[in-house]
Amino acid sequence: MSLSQKAKHLGLGSCPCCQKINKMTAEQQRCIRCHQVFSQRKQYSVQFTLAWTLAAIVMFIPANIYPMMVFYKLGRPEQSTIIEGIASFIKQGLYPIAFIIFLASFIIPLGKIIGLLILLYNTKNYSKISKRKQTQMYHLIASLGPWSMLDVFVVVVMASVVNFGFFTSIEAGIGITYFTLMVIFTIFAAESFDPRLLWDIERRKNHDR
Amino acid sequence: MSNLDDENELIACKHCDSLARLPKLTSGESALCPCCGRTFFSRKVDPVNRTLAVSFAGLLLLVPAFSMPIIGVSVAGKYNDATLLDCIMLMINADFYIIAFCVFLFAIAIPSIRIFSAFYLSYKIKRRQFGASLLTFYRSYHLFDSWSMVHVFFLGVIVSMYKLITLDELSVGSGLISLLLLLFCSTLISITLDQRLIWELLEDELEPKS
Repeated sequence: MSLSQKAKHLGLGSCPCCQKINKMTAEQQRCIRCHQVFSQRKQYSVQFTLAWTLAAIVMFIPANIYPMMVFYKLGRPEQSTIIEGIASFIKQGLYPIAFIIFLASFIIPLGKIIGLLILLYNTKNYSKISKRKQTQMYHLIASLGPWSMLDVFVVVVMASVVNFGFFTSIEAGIGITYFTLMVIFTIFAAESFDPRLLWDIERRKNHDR
Repeated sequence: MSNLDDENELIACKHCDSLARLPKLTSGESALCPCCGRTFFSRKVDPVNRTLAVSFAGLLLLVPAFSMPIIGVSVAGKYNDATLLDCIMLMINADFYIIAFCVFLFAIAIPSIRIFSAFYLSYKIKRRQFGASLLTFYRSYHLFDSWSMVHVFFLGVIVSMYKLITLDELSVGSGLISLLLLLFCSTLISITLDQRLIWELLEDELEPKS
């Protein structure tokens, strides 16, 4: 048995839940060990991933336009979007926090969306980047997912602690809802992507030659 | 080419789908995929006892972590603190239903389900009481793998402490300490729980060999 043999080509499928190797008799079947319904590849993986990614892009726009947080000082509201919040951190000289927030709420979501689009493109077209690198990239995207929620949790905690009525109070802005939806959509997109599709195209290319 | 009929002796990588012969491992070792280099599975040291201990500690910490004040501030003699449940109630009152639901799900419900499933599984395996319900519990543990966000919430609290420290007088509540310990427990569970061993045990016990 050669090591590069793929389970799919032998009519075998590995259960995504418990990794048990099953003989595939239908498109979708129940795992004999954990009774999870699965198929050899995640079904409609490319379509679902593309749909969730596009939804995330749509949500990215209002998330950055609308204010995340409203700061009331003596009754006067002061609204701030994500970028303005980061700018205020830099003004106060809190550079590490500004960097973390900038990373978690701007760079990571944007990077995830772009990365998923690149991976989607590579499932259809042969790419020069090695498959190992692409798989690593997918894992980075998948594992960074929850960290984008950081800004939402910060606003929620601040809004509930700083609550002194007229004097000083912080309230959440509308942007936070769009931002949360964007984060959830990108997590769904990463979950519905199947990294094995990246390896399938390599095989197809080798057969052509 | 050797005989490929016995699929019980094979394993497929879930990242690149390449097949390999199931390696025999002793505890503490990991098997890596020869094709893409990701981990197939690893054998953990004393998985059942350790998971039982850590998840029991996690269960005890759930209630204080959610119901004790996390941080408090005082402005001009007035003091205000908030628990995790307060945060959610406040978001509901401010009509941010989606946020309230998400915070509840990611910071309370899913971590609780994961810790409870780990505890229930390791307890039942320790007592050697096997039932079909274990499959459901273990599947739910897998399903919520990427949705538990206690670690992100904790970092969020730390960041907001930084933000508030310039504003007012700040105090740390016992909720924050319980939250930190809860975070330790849920991380330790993912380290101690031997996923493959539990599946193999469940398979052996639940299905009579033909």
